[in-house]
Formats: sequence, C-alpha cells, structure tokens
Amino acid sequence: MNKIRINIIIAFLMVSTIANGQKTTLFMGGIAHLGNGEKINNSIISIKDGKIDLVADLSKIRIDPSSFDTIYKVYGKHIYPGFIIPNTTLGITEIDQVRATHDYDEVGSINPNVHSQIAYNPNSKITETVITNGVLLAQVTPRGGLISGQSSVMYLDGWNWEDATCRANDGIHLNWPSSYFQTGWWGQQGKTKRNDKHAEQVNRIKDLLENSLSYFKSNSEIDLKMESMKGLFSGEMNLYIHVNYANDIIDAIDISKQYKIKNLVLVGGEDAIKVIKKIKKNNIPVILNRIHRLPKNEDSPIDSPYKQASILQENDIMFSFSYEGDMEAMGARNLPFSAGTAVTYGLDYENAIMALTLSTAKILGIDHRVGSIEKGKEATFFISEGDALDIITNNVEYIFIKGKSVDTENHQTKLYNKYKDR
Amino acid sequence: MKNLFRILFVIIFNYSYSFSQESFPVNGVANNFKPIHAFTNAHIVMSSNKEIKKGTLLIKDNIILNVDSNITIPEGAIIHDLNGDYIYPSFIDLYSNYGLKETKKKDSDYMPQYKSNKKGPYYWNQAIHPEVIASYNFNHDKKSISEYLEIGFGSLVTHLQDGIFRGTGCLTLLSNSKENEDILLDDAATFYSFNKGSSQQRYPTSLMGSIALIKQTLLDAEWHENTKSNSNISLSKFNAQKNLPKIFELKTPLDYSRLFKISDDFEIDFIVKGNGNEFLKIREVKEAGFPIIVPVNFPKAYDVTNPEEAMGISLSNLKKWETSPFNLRILQDHNITYTITSSDLENKSNFIGNLRIAIEKGLTQGNTLDALTITPARLIGVSDQLGSLEKNKIANFIICSSNIFTDGIIYENWTAGKKNIVTKKITEDIRGYYSFHSDEFNNITVQITGKKESPITKITKIDSNKLSTIYKDEKIIINSQTGYFRSSGKFANNSIEGKYQDKEGEFHYYKMTRDSLVNEKTKIDSLLIDTILPEIWHPNKSNGLNKKLNSKTVLFKNATLWTNEEIGIIRSCDIIISKGDIIAIGENLDTNQIPNFENLNVEIIDASGKHITSGIIDEHSHIAINRGVNESSQAVTAEVSISDVINPDDHNIYRQIAGGVTCSQLLHGSANPIGGQSALIKLRWGESAEEMKIKNCDGFIKFALGENVKQSNWGSFNTTRFPQTRMGVEQVFFDAFYRAKNYQKEWLNYNKLSLRKKREVNPPREDLELNTLVEILEGKRHITCHSYIESEINMLMHLADSMDFKINTFTHILEGYKIPNKLKKHGAGASTFSDWWAYKFEVNDAIPYNAAILNKSGVVTAINSDDAEMGRRLNQEAAKAIKYGNTSEEDAWKMVTLNPAKLLHLDDRMGSLKVGKDADIVIWSENPLSIYAKVEQTYIDGKCYFDYQNNMLTQNRDKKEKIRIIKKLSKIKAGNKRKNKAIKEKLYHCDSIEHE
Repeated sequence: MNKIRINIIIAFLMVSTIANGQKTTLFMGGIAHLGNGEKINNSIISIKDGKIDLVADLSKIRIDPSSFDTIYKVYGKHIYPGFIIPNTTLGITEIDQVRATHDYDEVGSINPNVHSQIAYNPNSKITETVITNGVLLAQVTPRGGLISGQSSVMYLDGWNWEDATCRANDGIHLNWPSSYFQTGWWGQQGKTKRNDKHAEQVNRIKDLLENSLSYFKSNSEIDLKMESMKGLFSGEMNLYIHVNYANDIIDAIDISKQYKIKNLVLVGGEDAIKVIKKIKKNNIPVILNRIHRLPKNEDSPIDSPYKQASILQENDIMFSFSYEGDMEAMGARNLPFSAGTAVTYGLDYENAIMALTLSTAKILGIDHRVGSIEKGKEATFFISEGDALDIITNNVEYIFIKGKSVDTENHQTKLYNKYKDR
Repeated sequence: MKNLFRILFVIIFNYSYSFSQESFPVNGVANNFKPIHAFTNAHIVMSSNKEIKKGTLLIKDNIILNVDSNITIPEGAIIHDLNGDYIYPSFIDLYSNYGLKETKKKDSDYMPQYKSNKKGPYYWNQAIHPEVIASYNFNHDKKSISEYLEIGFGSLVTHLQDGIFRGTGCLTLLSNSKENEDILLDDAATFYSFNKGSSQQRYPTSLMGSIALIKQTLLDAEWHENTKSNSNISLSKFNAQKNLPKIFELKTPLDYSRLFKISDDFEIDFIVKGNGNEFLKIREVKEAGFPIIVPVNFPKAYDVTNPEEAMGISLSNLKKWETSPFNLRILQDHNITYTITSSDLENKSNFIGNLRIAIEKGLTQGNTLDALTITPARLIGVSDQLGSLEKNKIANFIICSSNIFTDGIIYENWTAGKKNIVTKKITEDIRGYYSFHSDEFNNITVQITGKKESPITKITKIDSNKLSTIYKDEKIIINSQTGYFRSSGKFANNSIEGKYQDKEGEFHYYKMTRDSLVNEKTKIDSLLIDTILPEIWHPNKSNGLNKKLNSKTVLFKNATLWTNEEIGIIRSCDIIISKGDIIAIGENLDTNQIPNFENLNVEIIDASGKHITSGIIDEHSHIAINRGVNESSQAVTAEVSISDVINPDDHNIYRQIAGGVTCSQLLHGSANPIGGQSALIKLRWGESAEEMKIKNCDGFIKFALGENVKQSNWGSFNTTRFPQTRMGVEQVFFDAFYRAKNYQKEWLNYNKLSLRKKREVNPPREDLELNTLVEILEGKRHITCHSYIESEINMLMHLADSMDFKINTFTHILEGYKIPNKLKKHGAGASTFSDWWAYKFEVNDAIPYNAAILNKSGVVTAINSDDAEMGRRLNQEAAKAIKYGNTSEEDAWKMVTLNPAKLLHLDDRMGSLKVGKDADIVIWSENPLSIYAKVEQTYIDGKCYFDYQNNMLTQNRDKKEKIRIIKKLSKIKAGNKRKNKAIKEKLYHCDSIEHE
C-alpha cells in the first residue's frame, strides 16, 4: 500500500516540475459552492497544474487576468466541487438485463479479496451521461454475499482504470445479515419474515473478524482473504457495513468495535434515525439510501425518506447520498436531484452540497485531494448555468477533472444532435 | 338474490327422508331391531324461536318421532333422563373437504405448459372441471369425523377444494355409517373460486385471467347448450348442474364486487364462502347481496414483547386483529344472510370458543343458532330434513350440559340416530372443602377445586403441591407426585371414601366429608368483554378516512395558475371550485360569482405565492392492482381487464395524491403482444374500486412489442411460447386481427338473419378475446402500445394501417425521436419515460431528449411513471424535458397533465384549468417543475383528498391508534400468539409476472 502512495506522490512531483509556470486558468464571477459549507457569490478561482491555486471573493482582491492562459467568465453561474457518488455499480455494469455486462457480484459469500478497480470500464456509455449532470467521482462497489469485496474511488473520466483511479481499494463492503428477509422473487414479492439464520450468520461474521484480527497480529503464511482484511485493522481501509434495521445497526456498531475495526461507515441506514444517539456517540458516518425511494412500509410517513438527511444534519452526523437500487448505474445522474429533494424537506442547501462533496470525500478518505474548492486541492469541479440540484436549472457547461477540461458530449447528446433537427 | 330462494324452493327434493333400509347383503343373521330412544327432562332448543324448557325428544332409528313437553313414552323405549341438559339441532357446515383426498400440485415442470394435459372430451382449461363429483371419491375419515362431532356438527357438504369450476359437493351425515346411507345429496351444490389450484396449465396466471376464464366458460356453456356442436363433458355437466346452489369461495373482501359483476352479467346467484374480513368492505358486501358462509378464524394475537418489532406490525393488521371478532355481528347488523363454517380454522377445537367470542361482541345467540342450522339447510334446500328439531326430520342433535353459546359442554352428538360420545358426562360435582380422616391424620383440610370435569386437589398437610385428580367412571384417583399419597376412592353422600398408600407403601383407609362447596369464579379475559366496535376506516389502515369527503366550494386568491390553456401561466389570479367543477377563473373574483353562494360553505384561501395546476395524470401506472398485473400465459389476452382487479386499498394511491396525481391509467403489463384492457381511475382514496373508475370514458387496451413479449429476459426455460422474435410478434398481430375480422363478419351475417332463420342455424360462438379486438376495429377501444425501438414501432403502424385500425398511444417509445413524422402521420401519441435507459438491450438508444423532440415535432407527448415511486414525483420528471431539450415550462407541464388527458380522451373534462372542467387541482408551494416544490393540497372532484398539514395530524392519529392496540395486545397472556410477519407490498412494473 505504501508503495502505491509513494508512486503517486512521485507522479505528482513530476507533473508539477514539467508544468511549472505553465497552463493557468482563471474563473471569474461564478457563485462558488465550496463544498465545505461556504459559498462565495462573486468568486474568483484559479487553477494551475491541475490544482486549485486561488479561491477568493472577486470583490475583495485585485488580480491581473492577463497573466492567465485561459479565462472563463462565469458571472452568475454556479461552481461546485465534483459530486461524488458512493456505493454504486457504475462502471462495472452496463445493461441491467444483459448478464454479460455484470461485473459486480462474485460467486461465494466471503470475497474480501476481489476488488472493483480492475473491472472498472472507463469507456462505459453510462458514465459519460453521469458526469454531464455534475457527478464526477464514484465509489465503485461490488455487491452480493456477506462480504462483497473492495470498492475503489474512480474518476468518471480516464484513459484506463489506472488513470481513472482516485483511491484504490478504499474499503471492504459487508452486507450485515438482516434480522428480517424478503421471500419471493422480483415479480412476486412474498412476506417479510424473521431471519431464522440471523444469529448463525452474525456468528459467521464474528468468526471472520476474529480470525482476521488474529491474522493481522500474527506472522502467518499469506492467505489471500485474510491478507485483504488487514487494512481494516491498520486503518488503511474502511469497513462499509450495509445495514438497515435499527437492531442490526446497533449490532453492527458493537461488533465492529469489539474486533477493533478502525473506520466504520454505515451504508443504507433505513432506520438510522431510530438509533441516532448510538450513531452519534460513536461518531460514525452514514451513506444514505436513495432519497427518491418509497417509504419503508405502509405506515411510514409519506415523506420519511425525504426528511432523513435533514434530521441527520440536525444531529451533526456526517452523511452522504447514494443511489443504490433499481437501475442505479443509469440513475446515478439523478443523485444531485435527490439531494435537491432533501433540501426541499429541510436540509440546508450548502450542507446538501457538502454531503455530495466534502463529506463523501472525507468518508472515502480522498478529502486531501478532492471534495471542496480549496487551494491546493485538485481542480475537479464543474460549472452549471444554474442551480445544479434543481432539474430545471442543472445545466453543466464545463467539467474539469484534475484540472483537465472534459467533454460534455455523450452517447445521448450525440444521438440528440443527430436527430433533433431531422 | 330473491331468485336464489325461488330456485331453491323449486328444487327441494320431493321425497322425505325415511327410515334406513338395509340394501346390502348381510353376512350372518340379520339384526334390524331399532329401539326407540326417549330423551326426557331435557331443555330442548328446537330452533332459534322455539324452545321447550322441559320436554321429551323421541327418536326411532334415524328419525325424530316427536318433540314436545308432554309425550307418552312408548313401551320399551330406552329412556335417557337428561336432567335439564340442553338439546340442540346439530350444526351443518356447507364448506368442507371432509373425506376427500386433496389434489396436490405436482412439482412444477420447468417447461411451461400451455395446453391442457387432461385426456378426453373436457374443457380446454384444466382449472375448469365441473365434472368432478365429490361423492365419487367420498370416504368417511375416522380422524376428522371426530373433529367435526366434537364441535357439534352432524352433517356437512364436502367438495374437492381445487380449481376454478370445482364440480359438485355432496351432503353427508356424520354418522360414520356406510357412505350409501350417510350421503343425503350426491349433488348438494356446485363450487367455484378464483384460484386455479393444482392446474399446471399456464392460463390463467392472474386474478383478471381467472375472471375472464369464468366469463368465457359461462358463455361457452350457454353456446354448447344451444348448439350441441361438439362433445364436451365439462360443459354438459355444468349445464346439467344449473339449478344447484352455486357456492363461490372468495379470499378477500374486495372479491365481493368482482363476483357481483359476474353474477349481474350472467344472472347467476351465488352463495359466497367468505373470508372473515367482510367488515372491511361491508358496504360492497351488502350491495352484492350474496348469502355468506363465514369462517370464524380470527387472527391470533400478535407477539408484542419486542417493542421494536411491535411497532413494525402494520396498523392494518393490528386493526384487522382487533375487529375480526366483530365480523359476524357487523353482518348481522347489516341484515346479511350468513351461515357459519368451521373451515379455515387452524384447529377446529377453537370453533365453539370463537363462536362465543363473536357472541360476546354482539352476535345474538338466536342468530348464531340459525347460522349453524336452519340457514345452511335452507340454502341447500334440505330444511325439511335438517336444521331444526321437528317431527320427521333426521335425528341429528347434540346434548349439552347447558347453553352451548355461553358455557355448555357437548356431551353427545347424535347423528342419524346414532350416539357419539363427545365428553363423558360427569354427574356429580366433587369439588369443595373436605375434612379428611384416617388412622394417620385427623381432621385435616382437603380442597378440591378446578373445573368440574378436571378437578385439582390440595392437601397442604401432606403435600404443598397440587395433586393430580382423576374423576372417571365414578372412581376418584388422587396422587401426589412425590409418591407420599396415592389414593383411590368413591364419592357418595357428600363424602369420599377409599384407600390410600403412604410413602412406605402401606395402605390406609380414609374418609373425607365435604363441609362446603367451592365458589366458582369465572375469569373472563379483559379482551373478550371489549364490546365496543372499533372504528373502521376506509381503507382500514394508515391514512384511512373515517368519513366520506364532501366536495368543497373554495375561492383561491392570488395564485399563479398554470392553466394549460391559451392564457398560459398567469400570476395573481383567482380560481373558484364548487360542486366538483372549476366554476370561475379570473382576477379579483369574489364569492358573488358563486351561484347560490349564501347556502354554501365557502372557503376563501389566500394562495399568494402558491402555484395551482390541474392534477397530474399518469398515463402509465401499475399501482392499485390485485393479484397480477400480467396475464402472461398467452400471446393474446385481450379478454382480461384490469378494471376487474382494482385494489382501492393500495397505499400507493395515497402516496401519489400526495405527489399531485389525480388520475391514472392502470395498465396491463407487457408480457404479451396483446395484453389486457386497462382501467382509468381517479385516485379517490377511501372509496371503492367501482367509485374510483372514471365513468363514461373510452376503453383502452395494452399492446406490447420487443424483448418482453419475446420473453428475452425470462430465463432459458421460457423459450417455447410463440413469439420469440420480432418476426413472430408481427405475425401474432396479423393472426389476431384476421381472426377478429372473420369473427366480426360471422356475427354481422348472423345478426342480419330473420328471427326464424336465426332459430334454424347455430349462432356463432361468443369469444371475449375477439369481442375486444372487434372493439378495436370498430374504433371503440384504443391501444396503448409498449414499445422501444424504431423498427417495431414502424412495423406496428404499418400493420395497423393495413388492418384499418389506429394506435392511439405508443408508451415508453424511447426511440420515438427517430421517427416523429411517422408517428404524426399515423396520428399516434407518445407517452415516454423522462430519462430511463440502460436497463435492457433494446433501450441502448434511449435518450432523455426524446420527449422534447417528439413534442417539438407536434406529437402529443406525455411523461409517465410505470413505477410506484416515480409516480410520487412526476412533476420532477416533467422538468427533465426542460433540462434535456429545452422544452418550455408550459409545454413540459402539459406532458404530465393535458397531454396524457388527450391520450386518454379525457381532455374535455381534465388536464387544464378551465371553467367547467373537473375540479381536480393541486396547490404547490412553488413552481411545480422545481425540485423545491411541495404539494400542499390535492383536490379531486372538488374534494380535498390530500392536505400536507392534515397529513401530519393523521400520522399522529395513526401512531396513537397503533400504540393503543399494541397496549391491548400486551395485556394478552403469552401463548396463542403468532409470529409476526408483515406482508411486503407488491409493486408492479409492466415487466412483472405473477403466478398464482
């Protein structure tokens, strides 16, 4: 792991030496949503060598535009750090009903050693329709089993998976055994029943964590699965527990603590509000289920999914929006609008932006590079003509990933242009 | 319903039951002597309105000779002195499968079966078998006969509970004699249901398929009778059974209106086997007017020990649990004819107990007795033989310790004059406080308590535990578990005398004399005396209404109106709704504009800053559908209709009015090229399925193309149904419409004939599938066709042109943008998704700009949901037409209002804000296309079905109601509770396939 990091650092040093004194870009007059909760209504932002060099209030500083290679006048337009979609199969699936395109669910129930990074398709036709709505990074996540595998954070633009990697193997995904389960199949859903094997499955997890911890502490011969788990104890990797029922959330937190898991993240958290004190006390971030979903059951208040984010905010819990579920890859482009709905139901606007950017970056461990518009961070942001969280105004004109301007054309705009005036 | 009774009286069998005669050869010496039995000193309940406090019942063999208070007992009669015991006519169960072997569903073959596997000249569908005669397979069953006898039944109608047309049931006495003697009627009734049972044949896969199949079978039976064109045992049998009572099993209270429609259309009277939940839809049940055979299978109490889980039990289930025991009382209060059945009970021994609960809840004892005796006897036309204790009727009666409906115990159940002992009668009550004497002990106290039949003894001096006490055959055996005291004795003259063995094994004589009796305290569960009828909501679940809504007269001031008319979007404008209509639009309106306003309760709402629109219309929805959105069994199923299976209780209705939807087309799925007919509803939450339907609207039907109908994504076993390619899909349509054209011609020719000629020739066979296709050809029914790629859309338009019909709407039509001019030329509209794609191969070229391009080209374009979740925020989906393709706000908004109204031919009364149109309006907190817009109120026909503020209050009410019932449940003792399982809601997309 250390080696990779050193390589990355060396790569950056090289880039900055070559480009020293070259390629500077200036953005003038945009409404900058910094991602950290702040907003500058009339901003000036400059980038140099792929990094943000200056972020300031245009009315408060003097600057000489002629010293920049490129100038974007974006008065009244909105600038956002690239939105980050966590917990998605984007890039490892293409067409839901064509099995050949599914690269997210491996055979077997415990697969900590499989990782999504090398299966990521940077040429997916879907991802190019996602960045055009402002979502520029994705935590590409395997699915299925008890332990699905390792996710990686990928830029939604790149020449190949190496180039597209933002952070390889950021964590392991554990599907917490649910106390209840669903019978039937997609066409005919059956009843929700108590999971009789729940205790047995939880014990299986305990055994696995116990063995992994023992392996971590000892000098045993290489075991692929155990080796993959080491990062959970060293803190190099997050443990993402996908869990929804209140009692299961409590168990998941307690058991992770018992086995000295360093960084725990809850994914899903349908009942998070019910156990909010526990989550807060342990300072655990939550990656929320898709906001645009149906309430949990017929008795749930009709707007309960919409209100969840604002309640977490009121309780100072770090959270992030996701889009797991039906058609999640294609739907990733609607992530900003689901955050918009959360704003409608009480979430502060800049906090919604923070959840889409800096909070997610912090959760995924990439906030030193991306997640906010701050000096020194990568220039991974986009400019929308209007409010990016509202469908009628979201109109992404410019996209920058690591300082590089990315085309806003995609498979769908090409077809549009071909047929619109036919 | 009157008809039914007339028929019943006509068919009452013209012979009266006579003494049984031996018709079988006897091996040995015949013994035919049948003594007379006299039951004296009995409290005889002859029927609910005739009771003899002290009388005699005389029977000989299987017949009642006489019942009266003063009878001379013939010489030699065997006298049973009942000493005040009660005699009742024994009960009759009309719904049973006693003595018949169940047909088991074979393990499913993976390959689908499209044709009937039944060999012989039978009906084409395996679920239709009126030829099954229960008595052919009937055998007494020793084990289950005692279950019936123990709870007071003396006769029952049993049938094979399998299939849709199930055949006949036979009426049998439960005397366990030779079946020849016990079966009173070979064909007592015929039986039906909506469930295909063990049939593995694909058709029908859905409830609407079952309904269509029933209708078609009834038509075929009539045609067969009139033409006798070919042999069909099933139909001949059905026709021969015409005059028998028809008993139809219904699984849910919503099924009552469904059956009522069939009953009405075909003038058939049914008796319904109910489900115990009639109270949920009592209005519809009453309207249907069927006599009902009601089970008393009240839901078990839920386990509420875990508070987390308890709150997870749905309010609808909690309320159902609380109200179920009131079901019979509610039927009684509505003057509905009902009988009671022991079927559906997990354990038949709970039957009497549950009857008593129903009685405590307000069912009268007399009505209970009638429902168990004379009413069932009348319904199957045997009231001259069974159902009351009268001269010459069959000697079917029970003897009880006291009133069976309060605390009586059944001692004996006499069937056809044969005695069956249920509980040995205990003549003496040995309970009391005794003084005990023996050589070891002098004058120690013994306490015998407990129930009369199963007492418990306590002798504190000898053993601190309770001693087991058996009182049987006049012997009293009292044992201590420690072995310190083992005794046997007899009771006489208020004392017990006998011997006991001490711990050393030595025997001692003892005598104990009773000093006083035990005071019997009856403990009644607090729940049982809860006789206040719980409030029943419509529907009886969260957000249900407790009263009917009235249409309001409201003047909204200073709103921004999205009129969808020429005037466009106007700011600071007023609008008035009254009596279900929009009556005025304009600036500075006042109440004087309202005719008769003095007599109306006019509400004035300041709507400054609010936006008012007409209600959202979802052209493509699959909510509110019961038991199957697809009849996926055949390529053409035009005969089925969603309007038969609307589920008005679906909470997605409420969720969607909260999103501003007021009207939806509930479409059949896309599993076959020609699917079923759709239903157009307004989302009138709290009203019945019938009331939700839009009256006087055009008919629609679902067609489909592409991967779904080719079964491309159904797995490798589904590769045998035609079609499997787009080439085949085209031919399905050609074939169907050629058949339809010939059919149309056939009927035209027939209808041209003179009456006399008509009598000479056979009429054509009426075919529901072809009827529907002819409606399309005649322009009376309109097509909404699921479609994706340009080639198939093109193909269907060509085909339609060549066959002279029109495609009204292409739905989904994600590649419509490639051929807008062709669509326009054909005159087809488009109803599309805003941005869905990448979910299957055929949507590769789907683009979110589709709606904008089509709209710009002049095609009537709508955006639909096809999804219960998306249906909640169609305003956002419309906004996507602005984002993708720069549609104007006005046009984008029309895509979810006026344009779908046009596609559904409802734009004369919906889809815009215009004086005279329906008051289906939505009040938004801001621009409805904005992500920040919230629905504040939704009106349908001027009734306010959703109000954001009220919704908060309702949520509170629902929570309180839940907590109230959970509290009640937590008082119930452990045991007799069931494991919690919540039913997960079903959500349909048009791909959903459902197998019964």
